[in-house]
Amino acid sequence: MSLIALVLGNLWAKKARSIGIAFAIGIAVMTVVTLTVVSSGLESSAAEVLAVGKSDFTVAQNGVSDILFSSLDNGQLQEVRSTTGVSSAVGVLLETERINAANPLFIEIGISPADLRPFGVTVVAGRPYGATASHEVMLGWRAAQNLGLHVGDRFKGNGAWNTVVGIYSTGISYGDLGAMFPLPALQAYNRVPGSVTLVFVKTVRGFSIPRVERSMTSAHPELTTIRTATQFGRADRNLVFLKAAATGSTVLAILIGAVIVGNTMLLSLFERTREFGLLRAIGWARTRVIFLVVGEGIVLAVVGSAMGVGLSFAATAVLEHLPQLAGVLHANYTPGAFWRGLFTGLGMAVLGALYPALRAANLIPLKALSHE
Amino acid sequence: MNESAVTPSLIEVHSVEKVYDDGMIRALDGLDLTVASGEFVAITGPSGCGKSTLLHLLAALDRPSAGTIQVDGYDLNHLRRNNLFRREEIGLVFQLHNLLPRLSVLGNVQIAMAGSRRPHGERSAYAKKLLGYVDLDHLADRRPPQLSGGERQRVAIARALANDPPILLADEPTGSLDSSSVEAVLGLFQRMRDERGMTIVLVTHDSVVAGVADRVARMLDGKIAVDSPPDAHDL
Repeated sequence: MSLIALVLGNLWAKKARSIGIAFAIGIAVMTVVTLTVVSSGLESSAAEVLAVGKSDFTVAQNGVSDILFSSLDNGQLQEVRSTTGVSSAVGVLLETERINAANPLFIEIGISPADLRPFGVTVVAGRPYGATASHEVMLGWRAAQNLGLHVGDRFKGNGAWNTVVGIYSTGISYGDLGAMFPLPALQAYNRVPGSVTLVFVKTVRGFSIPRVERSMTSAHPELTTIRTATQFGRADRNLVFLKAAATGSTVLAILIGAVIVGNTMLLSLFERTREFGLLRAIGWARTRVIFLVVGEGIVLAVVGSAMGVGLSFAATAVLEHLPQLAGVLHANYTPGAFWRGLFTGLGMAVLGALYPALRAANLIPLKALSHE
Repeated sequence: MNESAVTPSLIEVHSVEKVYDDGMIRALDGLDLTVASGEFVAITGPSGCGKSTLLHLLAALDRPSAGTIQVDGYDLNHLRRNNLFRREEIGLVFQLHNLLPRLSVLGNVQIAMAGSRRPHGERSAYAKKLLGYVDLDHLADRRPPQLSGGERQRVAIARALANDPPILLADEPTGSLDSSSVEAVLGLFQRMRDERGMTIVLVTHDSVVAGVADRVARMLDGKIAVDSPPDAHDL
């Protein structure tokens, strides 16, 4: 009889308890995996904003809690444009507005029509809006499709009714789910005249992009540059906090879970005192007893982690459909999320099982055999 | 300390004392005993005379307070790996069978082979062979609660033989059995001595049981009071 067969047999003999512990592990793993998937999903969703501009990198205000709260004035835009190695720099105002229940965070982009082509925008129907038009809008083709609007229809956004003069495509789903307004009109409605949220930069061919970034941030420490989703995660303080919460919840889940698992396994140890005494009396080494108990913990961890991952799929689906997160959160299941879930489950089980295992291994056989 | 020095007898106990509660209880008081290889010795005596304490010391389940014990060359006072000694050198049979109820009869025998030198692939077959030896091979898949008291004790004996130890230590193995089961178990012990050449030390308070041994050591107040063939005792 192999040790693993014995481990499985022991767990099977106490099915209800084993399922209970596995479920507790599963709940903790679900929390950790869901938080990781959500933060990763938010990061990649938000990073898609940056991809809309099809630039080499993006410039934002340094240290903002949310990247959409970044605010750069005309002077800073000019400084970006005058940096050596910069070919073009497009200033864009990004806002979100609730237009209906299905679109609680509809994205609105303020951009000069002259910058549409450098920004990577293709007008696929109608025409671009006028540079200073006050009630003209272009809809992304996905947004137009979702809202059932066409060129010539009326769209309420930016605080007023606007005429849809064109339909555009950026090739990026996040951008195509929004609307574009003349920059001054969006600035006026949001009371941020002369301000943009982000500057999308293209470099001169042959220049090193990281070097241009470094020279820009060293000359202007109030600015930060973003090229990758990871850099976005570092620039956006909210995302930093969310990631920290995910890490913190992992540690907490391991500690709390370890106490729960340990407590339950101690109860099991108490019930099985005679068994461990017998095993030691017939020649089992202490290490083998430890492997037996910890092995039971590891099997519970693997089963619990699998349950937790399954539950996290359900939890994430629920979160994706919450009105507050609809359209913003797209679950991003990365291998890292699964590894973190497994690590959490194993951490809980091994830490929780270790003390009962040591107690079992150090039982005095004679005393254990006389245990009632 | 040399653990494997050759000794003339298989078991040698010299001036062994065992005290509990800071000397308030003296379970063994300068006990001497030698058991030759292949010998079947019964230890008898009234309750509390130290029979079980002696057996526990021989099984390295406890250590003497004074004196020396040598078992098959092992100095039990300085044993470093008790578990190895218990697995390879002795088979233990208790009054209560101590079988694991959730394992099959076969599993209960196999569990004693964990960590043994016998290859994994041979363990199941050997456990079945041992069950055949105690005439229980037809019950290999049953669980202990489905067996009679005598059958359970025979499974415990098969488990004690799992690693082919040279010595069997049995503590009141027939204490909770009916007379026909007692007969079967004692018959097994005699076969083990005759066919396998095992050295058997049996603790019992039952004079009939002690009567099947080659020698009976009667204990009184922590010492061997009489040590002679069974027919010399007033059984």
